[in-house]
Amino acid sequence: MAWIVLVLAGLCEMLGVFMMGRMYQKRNVQSFIYMVAAFSMSFGLLAIAMKTLPMGTAYAIWTGIGAAGGAILGMIAFGESKDWRRIVFITMILGATIGLKLM
Amino acid sequence: MNLTWLQVIIAAVFEVGWVIGLKHASTPLEWTATVICIIVSFYLMIQAGSKLPVGTVYAVFVGLGTAGTVTADMLIFGEPVQLGKLLLIAILLAGVIGLKLVTGDDKEEHA
Repeated sequence: MAWIVLVLAGLCEMLGVFMMGRMYQKRNVQSFIYMVAAFSMSFGLLAIAMKTLPMGTAYAIWTGIGAAGGAILGMIAFGESKDWRRIVFITMILGATIGLKLM
Repeated sequence: MNLTWLQVIIAAVFEVGWVIGLKHASTPLEWTATVICIIVSFYLMIQAGSKLPVGTVYAVFVGLGTAGTVTADMLIFGEPVQLGKLLLIAILLAGVIGLKLVTGDDKEEHA
């Protein structure tokens, strides 16, 4: 159960990043509200998941889903660069971040 | 362009502030400071998304925040300094610098 909550938290984080991009594309208040709601929900779910899962593990998975998902959605939905170097560097940042959270 | 990157870096510094706060805050004053750090860090990060790709901004924000938190743990809170941690921080920073360099290229190509 905690794992499902954790994955949902990560998906909310992804949605928050997506709404952030949409807010700048569409310039509307709606996206802003969705973004705040998604980030808040994500934090809440993460806190619930952390009650049973080890903190480092929970954080690593949450960050991984949120940031990798955000980057992929950015490429698909907002036409952000798919340059292989950009993908390599983002992977380096995420890989190191997840490693640090797990240590 | 450079100012926006600086803004993401400052956002990450405030992120380190609230991560430490969530762990260590005990007085109302410390909790207030923690909440202010959360608001400032997210405000700066979200605003940077207007000038830079959101995928980039968020990855750098989260990455630098983590590197900063681990560093603060080692420097201030006496966590053991491990070679593995230093290595991961180095990889992370290399990724951020690389990302900044290729993002610069992109903007010029599209300009």
